[in-house]
Amino acid sequence: MVDFLFYMFALTTLLGAGSVVLSRNPVNAAMLLIVSFVGTASLFIVLGAYFLAAVQLAVYAGAVIVLFLFIIMLLNVDASRKWKPSYFTMAGGLIAGILMVFAVLHLFKRGENFTTDTLSESAPIGTTTQSFGVELFTAYMLPFQLAGILLLIAMLGVIFISKRTSDKGKEAV
Amino acid sequence: MNWESYKSIADTNLWSAILPEFVLVILALSLLLLDMFGGSKGRGLVGRVTMLGLLVLFVLSLTVLRDNLGYINQTTFSGMLLHSDFGQIMRLFFLASSLLTAYLGSVFLKKQGLPGTEFYAITLLVTASLMLLSQSNNFVLLFVALETVTIGFYVLVSYNRDRSNSLEAGLKYLIMGGFSTAILLMGIVLLYGIGSSPVLEGATAHSLNFSELRNFLELNSDNLIAKVGVLLVVAGVAFKIGSVPFQIWIPDVYQGAPTPVTAALAVSSKAGGFAVLIALVSGPFKPMADLLIPVLSVMAIVTILFGNIAALTQQNVKRLIGLSGVSHAGYLLMGVVAMFTVPSAQNAIVFYLITYLLASYAVFGVMAHVSKRGQDDAQNLGDYQDMLKESPFLAGVLVLGLASLAGIPPLAGFIGKLLLFYVAFEAELYTMLAVAIVGVVISIYYYFGWIKEATFRIWKLPLLEGEEPEEPREWPEVSRTARLTLGGLALLALLLGLYQGPLSSLIG
Repeated sequence: MVDFLFYMFALTTLLGAGSVVLSRNPVNAAMLLIVSFVGTASLFIVLGAYFLAAVQLAVYAGAVIVLFLFIIMLLNVDASRKWKPSYFTMAGGLIAGILMVFAVLHLFKRGENFTTDTLSESAPIGTTTQSFGVELFTAYMLPFQLAGILLLIAMLGVIFISKRTSDKGKEAV
Repeated sequence: MNWESYKSIADTNLWSAILPEFVLVILALSLLLLDMFGGSKGRGLVGRVTMLGLLVLFVLSLTVLRDNLGYINQTTFSGMLLHSDFGQIMRLFFLASSLLTAYLGSVFLKKQGLPGTEFYAITLLVTASLMLLSQSNNFVLLFVALETVTIGFYVLVSYNRDRSNSLEAGLKYLIMGGFSTAILLMGIVLLYGIGSSPVLEGATAHSLNFSELRNFLELNSDNLIAKVGVLLVVAGVAFKIGSVPFQIWIPDVYQGAPTPVTAALAVSSKAGGFAVLIALVSGPFKPMADLLIPVLSVMAIVTILFGNIAALTQQNVKRLIGLSGVSHAGYLLMGVVAMFTVPSAQNAIVFYLITYLLASYAVFGVMAHVSKRGQDDAQNLGDYQDMLKESPFLAGVLVLGLASLAGIPPLAGFIGKLLLFYVAFEAELYTMLAVAIVGVVISIYYYFGWIKEATFRIWKLPLLEGEEPEEPREWPEVSRTARLTLGGLALLALLLGLYQGPLSSLIG
């Protein structure tokens, strides 16, 4: 059963990723990327990492894709225009692809003695949402609070820079 | 779940150990409330509240909180922070720098007619994270603190949002900063991954902790992935200090940013980078000396030469200061290299940073005063003509500041350079020392070019008949606070050159 689920979700991920590359319309490509992310999240569930799966869905399928769609909307990309990559780009892509193939082959060779059991046991703090939460509010309390300040600065900055001013330079409400 | 162990971890979260940072954050939040509910009267008070708060905190940190309520040489927050004497000095440094930034900000914002609350609030928050950064003992905290500082600076650089060059500088800094963050993060991830790999000897589950990472690197100092990770982390930090080959952003961003922000970038941001570098080199990266000494040496040599040679032809004073700041980063990097063999080099670096702070803020203070109301101009060397005649006080401060940056005895900058060169000599870095001395000689040319513009009379053509005389430039009034602040900075730069007693006991 687990094997069947793995192959199904792996196929979803790969097909989704493949169609992102092949799709001509950027909006469709962004949507297909969600399919690929859902496949990855499902693979995490098969591995027993439920929290990671939820984060994958919330952050990538939710926030990042919305960001992509916003950028596509703002840039007003023309779907019909054909884009021809330069030789430099093509060479870069080729090298990255070859490296990726070697990395995957290496994983297959080295990964024989890894099973899902050893993976979840070797994780230092476990994989449940509760263990992440407890860890976050004990050992990582200070960086967690500091991240709040980071977001406050970002919010202040965005409001300040994009605030509308009237001609006299006084703040408009 | 083992609650007892979590309880003992939570017990190390001692908020009183970071009291100054805590107060800064509270102060920043109350500024926002003051702006919201205080009406126009409250808005006018914001700048003064900020400066008063920073001044009180600085004095308290110098006296009552000198030993950080007893938390010295201890780790708190489950090993996230290490409170050391070095951290205490850097805390004072950032408080002083932030106080001066807030003062320059009050001068600048009034001239530009910009609202100030966000400027002061972000400056305070950035200061708090810089102070945490200089005490961090874990890569997670280091990254979050560094990112908070950088994001604060993105906003501050583009603060003058009605001017396109400020926004342009903000965008350039955003892109280059994002790039450097990615490099730093990649390095941290590689170190985390290789440090917790069960295949290797000395692997640890907490490989982001500095002391655990050091133990790991001591056993695996020739591991390729660890080497790449260390290099990437150093590259990420090199962006912040602006050393070659990561100095590309400096001239444009310095030129476009509002003057007080340029000052903060030149002093606080650079010092923050060096605080991280010192913590790394004296801690986790010490076992990687064989890799880092040649890399940092080459970086230091190229940085010194590039900064000084590129500054030679600059006509814009902000670009000139930016590029000369690159060369100062080079001299400081020389001190970092010396730290591998002579640990006391750390004190020389701290002293140099303090002299750099005094001289830089004196020069930037003059710059902030010279620009006209509603404009951020007067950035060309030519704008400083006749300064000695029209505004002798500002000219005097400028001359003292620039001469201290150039390292002319008897000013503080000379002693700073002397100490750095001395530790480099002790560490037997003769090649680098020779390059640094050549660099100092080159730097005198452009610093004195600026002094010459400000002090020497320029001969002008006599007016021909029917020719309108050129309208005389408006020279700013210098307020009493400005006289006190700038005069104090210049005086300190002079006194520290003559007598270093109290400071050397502070640094140790």
